[in-house]
Amino acid sequence: MKVYECCGVESVTKKVYCSTCRQEIKNEREVPDEGTVYSYTVIHIAPADYAHLAPYTVALVQLKDSTAKLTVRIQESVQIGDPVQLDQIADGTYIYQKVRTA
Amino acid sequence: MSVYVHSVSMTKFGNSENTSLKDLMLAASREALEEARELKIDAVFVGNYMGGSLANQEILGAIVANDLGLGPIPTAKLEGACASGGIALRQGILGILSGEYESVLVVGVEKMKHASTATVTQFINSAMDQTTNERYAGLTFPGFFGVVANRYFYETGANKSHLAKLALKNRENALQNPLAQFRKPATLEEIMNARMITDPLGLFDCSPITDGAAAVVLSRKPSDIKILASAQASGPTMMQDAIDLLSLPAIRISGQQAYEKAGVSPEDIDVVEIHDCFSMTEMLAIEELGFFPKLEGWLAIEQGKTCVNGEKPVNTSGGLLSRGHPIGATGVAQFYQLVLQLRGHAPNQLEKQPRLALAQNLGGTGSYSVVHILERV
Ligand SMILES: [Zn+2]
Repeated sequence: MKVYECCGVESVTKKVYCSTCRQEIKNEREVPDEGTVYSYTVIHIAPADYAHLAPYTVALVQLKDSTAKLTVRIQESVQIGDPVQLDQIADGTYIYQKVRTA
Repeated sequence: MSVYVHSVSMTKFGNSENTSLKDLMLAASREALEEARELKIDAVFVGNYMGGSLANQEILGAIVANDLGLGPIPTAKLEGACASGGIALRQGILGILSGEYESVLVVGVEKMKHASTATVTQFINSAMDQTTNERYAGLTFPGFFGVVANRYFYETGANKSHLAKLALKNRENALQNPLAQFRKPATLEEIMNARMITDPLGLFDCSPITDGAAAVVLSRKPSDIKILASAQASGPTMMQDAIDLLSLPAIRISGQQAYEKAGVSPEDIDVVEIHDCFSMTEMLAIEELGFFPKLEGWLAIEQGKTCVNGEKPVNTSGGLLSRGHPIGATGVAQFYQLVLQLRGHAPNQLEKQPRLALAQNLGGTGSYSVVHILERV
């Protein structure tokens, strides 16, 4: 997972300029694809093109070793604080799953 | 120079099956113009969000000028998602303050009921950045506030019952408002057990799909209602970019700027209309506007402090949740309720006639916020 940084703010979104120093955002680094659930919702009423998936969970994941967060879809029910990891990227969607402990 | 409110109007909010977007807009405009007949209108500003996508109708400003015989005056439509109405008001105010216009008509309008919920949900999603992984994840507009609510519960002592109590307050206020969409009583139990929309937000936590319009005539000529401040700020367009998920910085900044311009503090405000697109949004807004400490809004709700007879009455109209939310009209309809309050004949009129009123109108998931402060003079 790539995160972009300037003036101490990290984001998975690549923006053009930094709102603090007004310079072009140039710092990027790789961080692990895993993290913990920061918060979530279960969407029951979906937009027309997602209706076939409902109900589905959308979670905001606090990425490990970064201050950046990432919005993902998860196929199972989760709680805040659950460890999660990337399952796959499909059609631009980060699909995450709970970390299974052996 | 100052700007004054000369007239306000709004249509009945709800289902206007047999009335077009144009006719809703003209009805509200006409009523506001009738009340301010002595003024010559120099420009028209229209707040509207989905006229093009849902009603296949643009050029709204020119239609108003033509059909209401206002002459070849300049007009414009303003779009800022659910803040379209507030932004139109602000542009009208700025147009007068610039010296270009003496009097302007501002009208907000939306027609949505004829479309299916799935279609409206889809188009409302255009109030979020549609090119990102968030959109592909299936995040919806209500979904954002669902994610916020679960985190709010996690970090505070609040739970779903506090949101329900807030929604019930707005419903009870709407019962007294003849122009509100929902005038059927509800119980706390009914609200708690309603169909889930996006966990933990149920049907009563979400503003409805509504048809309606509202209009205001503003002028630099004095009246009994003076605009003390107009402020606007922008915020993140994506959930994952929020520095603090439990903060809507655009509300905080537009509020601070408005207080500073008006030379007043949150304690001075007598009556408030807040953008409660979701129950959770009103919770955050009462904190961001400085009425209650951060993460303690739920305590104020528990103690009934935002009820009509509370220390800080919020949404005496019924709010977006129960008065209804015809998107482009909402910011203008907030003026309607507040001007009636200041003049002493509003639905849920405060016992002590208020002097200072604040309107806060939000667009997107905190992408736009507009705050106006009105004073009875
Ligand atoms: Zn920087």
